[in-house]
Amino acid sequence: MSKLKLNGVSKAYGATLALRRGDLEVMAGEVHVLMGSNGSGKSTLCKIIAGSVRPDEGRILINDTPVTITGPRSARAQGIGIFYQELSLAAHRSVEENICLAALPARARLFVDRAALKDRAARYIALFDGVSGEGFSADALVGNLRPDQRQLVEIMKALASEAPLIIFDEPTSALDRAQVERFFEILRDLKRRGRGIIFISHRMDEIKAIGDRVTIIRDGETITTLNLNETDAGTVIRLMVGGAGDMPASQSSAPAAVDAKDGAALTVRNLSGAGFRNVSFEVARGEILGFGGLHGQGQSALLRAIFGAGSVSTGEILIGSDRFDATSPRDAIRRGCAYVSGDRGRDGVISGRPIIENVTPIHYLRDRLMIARPSKLRDKVAPALESMHTKFASLFHPINSLSGGNQQKVIIARWLIDRPDVLLLDDPTKGIDLSAKADLFALIRQLAAEGLGIILYSSEDAELLGNANRILVFNGGSVSRELIGPERTRYNLYQAAYEAA
Amino acid sequence: MSRVMSFLRQPIVVALALIVLLLYLGELMSPGFASGAQILRLLIVASLLGIVAAGQNVVILGGREGIDLSVGGVVSLSAIIAGNVMNGADIGILPAIAACLVAGAFFGLLNGLGITLLRIPPLVMTLGMLGVLQGLLVVIRMGIPSGQAAPALSRFVTQPLFFGVPGIIWLWVAIGILMAFMLNRTVFGHRIYAIGSNEHAAYMAGVPVRLMRIALFMISGMFAAIAGLCLLGYSGSSFANVGEQYTLTSIIAVVFGGTSLAGGKGGYTGTMAGAFLLVILQGILTTVNIDESGRQMVFGATLLLLMMFYGRGRAMRA
Repeated sequence: MSKLKLNGVSKAYGATLALRRGDLEVMAGEVHVLMGSNGSGKSTLCKIIAGSVRPDEGRILINDTPVTITGPRSARAQGIGIFYQELSLAAHRSVEENICLAALPARARLFVDRAALKDRAARYIALFDGVSGEGFSADALVGNLRPDQRQLVEIMKALASEAPLIIFDEPTSALDRAQVERFFEILRDLKRRGRGIIFISHRMDEIKAIGDRVTIIRDGETITTLNLNETDAGTVIRLMVGGAGDMPASQSSAPAAVDAKDGAALTVRNLSGAGFRNVSFEVARGEILGFGGLHGQGQSALLRAIFGAGSVSTGEILIGSDRFDATSPRDAIRRGCAYVSGDRGRDGVISGRPIIENVTPIHYLRDRLMIARPSKLRDKVAPALESMHTKFASLFHPINSLSGGNQQKVIIARWLIDRPDVLLLDDPTKGIDLSAKADLFALIRQLAAEGLGIILYSSEDAELLGNANRILVFNGGSVSRELIGPERTRYNLYQAAYEAA
Repeated sequence: MSRVMSFLRQPIVVALALIVLLLYLGELMSPGFASGAQILRLLIVASLLGIVAAGQNVVILGGREGIDLSVGGVVSLSAIIAGNVMNGADIGILPAIAACLVAGAFFGLLNGLGITLLRIPPLVMTLGMLGVLQGLLVVIRMGIPSGQAAPALSRFVTQPLFFGVPGIIWLWVAIGILMAFMLNRTVFGHRIYAIGSNEHAAYMAGVPVRLMRIALFMISGMFAAIAGLCLLGYSGSSFANVGEQYTLTSIIAVVFGGTSLAGGKGGYTGTMAGAFLLVILQGILTTVNIDESGRQMVFGATLLLLMMFYGRGRAMRA
C-alpha cells in the first residue's frame, strides 16, 4: 500500500520553475531516499509534502485518497512529520519540552501536564540511551547542548510526532558513527511497524545502509526510482548528473592551466578555523580557482575567514609574498582583498540607500576620503556600473528599486573603482537571472585576464566547470580532491562531493 | 494624484502642516499666541530641544535599536557644571563650554563603550546612565550653590543678536546646516546611514562599526551638553533635574520629523520641524492650563499616535 503518492507536482516562483514535474511514491514500511543536486527541486518537493509550500499543479494522495495540504498544521493532521535541516528548536527550553513542543500534553486544555510531558519525552530520550553523550538529560537546556546533541533532540521531536510518514532532511549531518547506527536501528524498527520514511542525505554509504529505494530528481524533474540493492553509487551519480556528465568541461571554458611565472596572488597554508581544517592552496595571478562540493562543507567559512570576517585558529595566509592575516574586513579591504557574498540581503545591500552610496564604501576606505562630492563620485561610479551593463534609472534612486541581478551588479561594482589583488566570490550568482549571470562571468574572466587572483565558490556546477581553471572539491571542511585539466567533469565533481570523506 | 499623496504623506510636510494648524489654533484660543515676538520665544525653546534632538537623531539613525535616554541627565549635569564654572562672570564662559563638552563626551563615551564592548542594549545602557547621572546630580548639589549664568550667555540666549533674532536661534540654524552637510555630504554621514540600514553589510564593506557607534553616542552627549549650557542661559540659574523632560521630548521630535526608530532612514531637517511643533504644542497646553504631568501624558500619547500614523514598518521594522 502506498503511504504517499505525488503525481506531476509543480511549483514556480515568478519566472523560475523550482519544480517542473515531481513524482514520488512512498510505500508503507520503506525508507525512501530522495537524491538530487543543489537546486534540483528536492527541497521544494519536501516543502510541498510538509505543507509549507503550496504546489501550482499536481495531485497528492495519502493512503490512496486525494488530499489538499493547506499548511504545516494541515500536513500534521494528515499524518506527516518532518525533521528540519535548519534546526527549529527553542534554545532556552529543556530537552523534554522541545520534544513535546508540537503537542504539549495539557490538563483542562490550559495547564501543561508536567508529569505526562516527562513521561512522553522519556520514551524518546531512552531510544538514544548510551549514545547521546555527556550532559544530555531530559531537563538540560537545548542551548547548552553540543550540535550533535541538538540534532538528536530534533530527531526525537520528529519521532514524537508519531506520524505515519516522516521526512528526514539530512538528519545525520552532525552525528557521530554510534549515533547514526542507533538512529538507523530506530528507523528499521519504524519500518517494521509499517511507517513510511523519506530520507535525504548526501552520504552514499548511509544511503546504501538504510535506504530501500531511491528517487532521483534532476532539474526539477523526477528522473527515476530504483531499488537500491539493484544498483551502485556510480549509476546513481550518473543519473543525477545527466547524459553529458562524462564530458570534460566544454570548449568555452577557462584554460586548464595558468602561466604562474608572475607568482601567486594568494597563498593559504595549513589553514584551520571554525568550519574548515588544514586547507592549503595557491591562486596564481590571472587564475580562477573553483571551490566545489556540497553546500556548507567549509567553502564559505574559509572565504569569510580569509576576508577577516571569520575565525582562523592555525595556519597562514599570504597576499603576494606578504603575510596577510586580516583581523577584520576593513583590514582585508585596505590590503587589496575583495569579497562578494551570495547573500546580498545580509552581507551586501545597504537597503533603502541610493545606488551611489552602495558603490562608494570601498572607495571611501581605500582613498581615505572624508567628504563625499556627488559630482566627483558619479564619474567613478558610473563606469564601474556600466562595465557590467547594470540597468538603473538614476544613481540616486534607492538600491531596492533594482532587480536582484542588478543589485548584485551594484555590489560587485563597489570593488571595481579601486582594483583589488584578490577577489573572493562566495556563491555570487545565488538567485539572479541568467543574463545577469552571463554579464557577471564575462566580467570575472576579464578581471582574471587583468591579473587578479580569483576564488569562485559556486553551488552551481556548470558555473565552476565553465569558468574555473582548477577546482578544489570540499568535503567535511577540507579539500578532498583537486580537479585539473580534463578531470574537470560533472561526474568527477559529483563523485568527489558525494563519497564519504 | 498618487505623487501628490506621497508628497503629503512625507513626515516633514505633515509636521509643517501641523505647525501652521497648531499656531492657528493657539491664536484662536489666546490672541497673540502666533504674534512675531511669541513665535520667537517659542523658537528659543525649540532650539534648546532641537539641539538635544540633533544628538538623539544621529544615535537613532545609527540603528541597532539606537536610542539615548541619558540626554536628560546630561542636560541637567551640564547646566550645573556651567553654572558653577562661570558663576555669573563672562570670563568663565569659555572654560564652562569646554567643561560641558568634556563631560558630555565622557558620558557619551561610557554609553558607547558599554553598548559596543559589553554589548548592553542601548535602551538599558542609557537608561542606567540616566540613573547614574540623576544620582550624581543629587550628590553634586549637596552644599554647593547651583551657580549663575554669565550675563553674556543669557543675552545670547534671550536677547536679539542679528536682525532681531537671538543668538541661540542662529546657533540652531548653523547646527541644522552642519547636520545636513554631515549627513549628506561626508563619508561619516554616509556611514551612519550604512550602519543604520544594514550593519552587517556595512561591516563587510569596511565600515568601522564599533568606532562609529561610540562616536555617535559621544556626539549625542556633546549636543546635550551644549543644550544644557544654553538652558542655563535661558533660565538664569540651574535647578534640580532641569533637563529631565528632554529625554522623552527629544525622541518625540526625532520621530515627528520622520526618522525611523529602526535606523537608517530620516534626517535632521524633519527633526527641526518636529522640535518646533512639539514646543508649540507645549505652549498651547500651557495656555489652556494643563500642568506638567498632563503635558507628559499628552507627549507620550503623541509619540504613540505618531508611530501609528507613520505606519507599521516605517517606524519599526520587525
